[in-house]
Amino acid sequence: MRQEKKSGIGRRQFFRTIGGGSAVAAATLISPLSTSEAQAYDPGAEETKARYRETDHVKAFYRTNGYETLQK
Amino acid sequence: MARMKFLCDADRCIECNACVTACKNEHEVPWGINRRRVVTLNDGKPGERSVSMACMHCTDAPCASVCPVNCFYTTADAVVLHSKDLCIGCGYCFYACPFGAPQYPRVGNFGSRGKMDKCTYCTGGPEPDLSTIEYEKYGSNRLAEGKLPLCAEMCSTKALLAGDGEMIAQIYRERVIKRGYGSGAWGWKTAYRETVAI
Repeated sequence: MRQEKKSGIGRRQFFRTIGGGSAVAAATLISPLSTSEAQAYDPGAEETKARYRETDHVKAFYRTNGYETLQK
Repeated sequence: MARMKFLCDADRCIECNACVTACKNEHEVPWGINRRRVVTLNDGKPGERSVSMACMHCTDAPCASVCPVNCFYTTADAVVLHSKDLCIGCGYCFYACPFGAPQYPRVGNFGSRGKMDKCTYCTGGPEPDLSTIEYEKYGSNRLAEGKLPLCAEMCSTKALLAGDGEMIAQIYRERVIKRGYGSGAWGWKTAYRETVAI
């Protein structure tokens, strides 16, 4: 039986090349993540500011809920 | 600084579900999501009691502790909010929450749930106050309008209290002084029975 000489890259060489390439790509992707620290979500001072105000509307709520006993 | 709190007076709650309806209507909450619901203990038996439950805006919120993307934050009013832009719908917060507050809009294949939704204490979200985008994502922002959560304002029997924690504690304390402790649906003795000394 005659062995034919295959041209180009063989199967094993092909996977070796692909494997090496993906390892380099993975290292490139992972390296920035591994060096930076996790950041907690900070929505900013404007979004976390106090919105509650004791308006007349709110005072009326307190008054009507405590009217039985709460002396205003 | 005022700390916003909810307190349900279980002696007054009559399980009318007006708080649930008001919440769904005010925020146009979609089908399948209940930001607030009424839980009844000993249903149909003598001494049954109902408690209106939603996110309790914990001081050390377990949902925030377990969130893998840190989408939770606490406002200066001590209201626990989250960003739907960051939420990945993993469901960890649902397992961590002792009140079952986090809700999900979908039950899809492979466990996809959609963005988590919960009670915002009628404070909207991280978007600009009273904007359309804030309303679409989180519902109305009544605190920015100088009001309180609609569930509490709608309560016909004045069972659900909301507002400055010190203020509503004072209201509840004076009710208890006047009428007695009552049902005991809340409190240490309910959680630990008679084994704890208060």
